[in-house]
Amino acid sequence: MWYALLVLLYAPLAVVVVYSFNSVNSSADFVGVSLRWYRALFADDTILAAAWNSAVLALVSSMLATAIGTALGYGMYAHRARRLGWLIWLIYLPIIMPDIVYGIAQLSFFSRLAAATQIFDLGLGTMIIAHVSFQAPFVALLVYSRLVGLDPRLFDACSDLYANAWQRARFFILPTLQPAIVAGFFLALTLSIDDFVISYFTSGPESVTLPIFIWSAIKRGISPEINAIATLMIGTVLAAAAITLAFQYVRHRQSGE
Amino acid sequence: MADAGSGKTGWRATGHLLGLVAPGVIWIVVFLVAPAAYLMSIAFMTNGSYGLPELPFTWAAFKQLAGYGFLGWSPANLYVVGRTLVQTVLATGLVVVIAYPVAYYISRAPARLRPLMLLLVVVPSWTNQVIRAIGWMNILAPGTPLSDLAAALGLISPHMGLYPSQFAVALGLVYNFLPFMVLPLYAVFERLDTAQIDAARDLGAGVWGAFRHGVLPQTLPGLLAGTVLVAIPAFGMYVIPELLGGGKNLMLGSLVARQFAAASNWPFGAAAALIMILATLAGLVVLRRLGRRLGGDAGVML
Repeated sequence: MWYALLVLLYAPLAVVVVYSFNSVNSSADFVGVSLRWYRALFADDTILAAAWNSAVLALVSSMLATAIGTALGYGMYAHRARRLGWLIWLIYLPIIMPDIVYGIAQLSFFSRLAAATQIFDLGLGTMIIAHVSFQAPFVALLVYSRLVGLDPRLFDACSDLYANAWQRARFFILPTLQPAIVAGFFLALTLSIDDFVISYFTSGPESVTLPIFIWSAIKRGISPEINAIATLMIGTVLAAAAITLAFQYVRHRQSGE
Repeated sequence: MADAGSGKTGWRATGHLLGLVAPGVIWIVVFLVAPAAYLMSIAFMTNGSYGLPELPFTWAAFKQLAGYGFLGWSPANLYVVGRTLVQTVLATGLVVVIAYPVAYYISRAPARLRPLMLLLVVVPSWTNQVIRAIGWMNILAPGTPLSDLAAALGLISPHMGLYPSQFAVALGLVYNFLPFMVLPLYAVFERLDTAQIDAARDLGAGVWGAFRHGVLPQTLPGLLAGTVLVAIPAFGMYVIPELLGGGKNLMLGSLVARQFAAASNWPFGAAAALIMILATLAGLVVLRRLGRRLGGDAGVML
C-alpha cells in the first residue's frame, strides 16, 4: 500500500520529467531521448526573464517577511499577558482566506490605487507586497511557537546579568531564535514558490514569473518545452528536499552522540 | 508579567509592543484588510460601463449571483456553487480515506524511517501547484495508456481523454491536499494511547467498537485540523478546476476570477467572493462546534 501511495504521489512529477526529454511533441508517444526542448528553453529570453523575476520575488519577499514576521512573533510572545486576541485574528486572516479572494482583493485595490496615485502599478512591487502579507504571519507563528517552548526564566537570567535590551537581543534572543528564523525564511521561500494565484492577480505585464508563463502557455496545450521548465522547477525542489534531509540526518547524528 | 523579565510597564511596554508588531500589523492591515474591505464594498456597487464598480450601492450583484439576469432566472450560478460544495466534500472525504491508513502506517514504522516517510509524502506539495496539475494533464490526456484503458472499459467515449473532466478535478484535488491531512493525522497517531484500545477489547468491543471508542476519539483533533486545512482551500481552489476541469466544470473560484478578467464585472465577482468567504467562515464555525461536541481538544483547532 505504501508503494502504491508513492506511485500516486510521484507519477505526475515523473511523467513531466520523462516527457520533457521526448524527442517529439506528444504526450501519448515517447519516441526518443532528446535535449531539444531544453536548448529551446535556454535560448528563450522571455523564459529567462520569467526565471529571474521568480527568483527576485521569492528572495526579496522572504527576506522582508522574515524580518517583519520575527518582530511580530517576538512582540506577541513578549506581551502575551495582554489581550492580543485581535492580533491573533489578524495573523490568521491571511492563512484562512481563500487565495483567489486574496488575489482579486489586491488586484482591485492596487489597480484602483494605481489609477488614483500613479504608484502601486501592478508589477513585481505589488507582487512582493502581496507575498510578504501572507508569508509574515507564518514566520510569526513559527517564531512564537519556538519562544513558547522556552523557559521564561531565561529572560530573567538576562536581566539578572544586567543585560540591556540590545545585549539581550544580540546574545540571547537572536541566537535562540536562529533555528526558527531560518526555518521561517525557508517556509516563506516555499510559500512564495508554491503560490500561483496571488502572484497571477497582482502581476503586471512586465513581471511574468515562471508559473505565470507556464499558465498562459498551457492554455494552448501542454508542450514538451513546458515539461522541460517544470522539470527544472521540480529539480530545484528535490534538491531542496535532499538538503533538508541531509540537515536532519546531521542533526540526528549530533543529538545521538 | 507584562513583558518577559524586563519589568517594563505602562506606556514604555506599550511602545515596546507597538515597535515590534507595528510593521507586521500595518503591512497586513494596509495590504490585506483594506483591499478585502474594498472588495466587500465593491460587491454592493453598480457595474459601470467599463466593467469597473460605480456608485450607487445596490443588491444587483447578489441578484445576478442568485440567477436573475437579462434573460430571466437561470440556475447556472447556483449549479456552480453546488458543484463546488460537492467537489469539496468529495475531495475531503477521499483525502481522509487515503490519509488515515497512511498516517497510521507511518506512525507504526521504525522511528528512524518516519521523518523520511513524512518527507516523501510532503515533497510533491513543495512544487508549484500549476506543475502538479501539468503532471495530471500529461497522464490523463487523450491517447495516454490510462485514457485508452478507460475508453476500452467503456468509461469514456473513445478518443476522449480523462481530462478535462470532473473526475480529473477530484483526482487533482485529492493529490493536492493529501499531505495536509497526513501531517495532522500523523501527529495524533504518534501519541496514540494503545491502552485505550486494549481496554475497549477487554470490555468486549469488536474491531469496529475498539476503533469507534478507542482510536477515533483520540485522532479526532488531527482529523478536524486536517479537514480545515483541506476543505477550506479546496472550496476556494482555482488552479486545479481551471486546468483539469475544462469550461464545463466551472467551480466558484473560476467564476470569481472570470469577473475580474475577461467578463469584467467586478461587483458580481466581489459578490461571489463574499459568498465564498461567508461559506468558509461557516465551515470553520461548524467544524469547531463539531470538535467540541465530539470531545476533541479545541486548542488544536486554529
